[in-house]
Amino acid sequence: MVNHYIPSSLKEALKVLNNHDCYIMAGGTDLMVVKHQKSGIVPNFDKDVCYISNLKELQYIYEDEQGVHIGAGTKFVDIENSMIVPDLLKQIIHELASPNIRNMATMAGNIANASPAGDSIVGLYLLDAKLELVNVNGSRLVPIEKFILGVRKIARKSNEIIKEIFIPHHDDLNTYWRKVGSRAAESISKVTFAGGYQVEDGVVKDLRMAFGSIGVTCVRDQKIEQKCIGMTVEELHKNIDNILNDMSKNITPITDQRSTKEYRYKVAMNILKDFLNVIE
Amino acid sequence: MEKISFYLNGKQVKLAIDPSTRLLDVLRIRLHMTGVKEGCGEGECGACSVLVDGVCYNSCLTPVANVMGKHIVTIEGFRTTKQYRIIADAFADFGASQCGFCTPGMILNAYALLKNNPHPSEEEVRIALSGNLCRCTGYNAIVKAILEIAEKGDIVW
Repeated sequence: MVNHYIPSSLKEALKVLNNHDCYIMAGGTDLMVVKHQKSGIVPNFDKDVCYISNLKELQYIYEDEQGVHIGAGTKFVDIENSMIVPDLLKQIIHELASPNIRNMATMAGNIANASPAGDSIVGLYLLDAKLELVNVNGSRLVPIEKFILGVRKIARKSNEIIKEIFIPHHDDLNTYWRKVGSRAAESISKVTFAGGYQVEDGVVKDLRMAFGSIGVTCVRDQKIEQKCIGMTVEELHKNIDNILNDMSKNITPITDQRSTKEYRYKVAMNILKDFLNVIE
Repeated sequence: MEKISFYLNGKQVKLAIDPSTRLLDVLRIRLHMTGVKEGCGEGECGACSVLVDGVCYNSCLTPVANVMGKHIVTIEGFRTTKQYRIIADAFADFGASQCGFCTPGMILNAYALLKNNPHPSEEEVRIALSGNLCRCTGYNAIVKAILEIAEKGDIVW
């Protein structure tokens, strides 16, 4: 027998989580698919459920000097329509799922679901996003790459909840996004890539490359990025084959019902090449 | 079982129910709103679309706990409005409904679009309907019907 908790404040939710190991239900767009049995039959939850979708105090977006703060209960549609959210994320969200699902689902849910094909995660890796996790005792800030541990594995302790997604400002970063799927809308990605760069006086000042759907987690290799920073654009273009070669060791896709590993690998490399060529 | 209340087509509903029950099942089985259709049951097809506080949700993915205190409109409630009449007439004129299974979801999504954007471009219409699958019409008739309404102007929106 599982219990269902519908707290009316964050404080109450944290108390619930402190005493019970729960699934945290926000929009439900992932959990309700996984736990669905048959039409007319109640979903099959194997442990308690805590519903946070009605907690207004988790629904906000604001910016300060450091960056943009997005409350964990904020729906994708509100992030997509925000004036202060980085364009890269808005572009990713615009191609994510369908309008109805963007009305329901949260970005924090996309993160906590920790699917290798979670599109918003790739943008958040690229932008050095951090998550604020809270419990009854206090809070901690965790970089997203330390939070996502593997396929559907996250570093959330059972008494914690994601309260906020923090995205530092990157005002001068040019960004690039590619999603490859079977159709334009509602497609679960075969390969995704987010790129970022900044060039000053012909010299690469910043370079970032993040892939989704080609490994157990999003892949971003800062050692390779560091090697490229400081090169002139001309040197960067001459080194494209070396960069592809370095990056290829990180690209470890699998074959599943959506695509094959060979296709994913080839497409990932082609996109990376295109991105590096775009830089000027 | 929890006590959960919300508004359905303007009337308050109070139920003692498992909070994880799909809104789709609550509407169809408990409340007999069979205009809400179940297609895929996993959020891909949009046949189960309902308006929740004015925006479209897939009711198959919505645990009933998430709509506590909210206003839900199904096609049964929407069909009493003049906006429904305009959309339904345009669908009829353009042959935008064949088997009819996707139609309630299509109409509610068309309304959700036109309410906020009375003069959408063709691309905007196609994006707004990108979560609603239709296996009969090939979509063009539906898009044309909505564009026709958009052209007529904002008399009703």
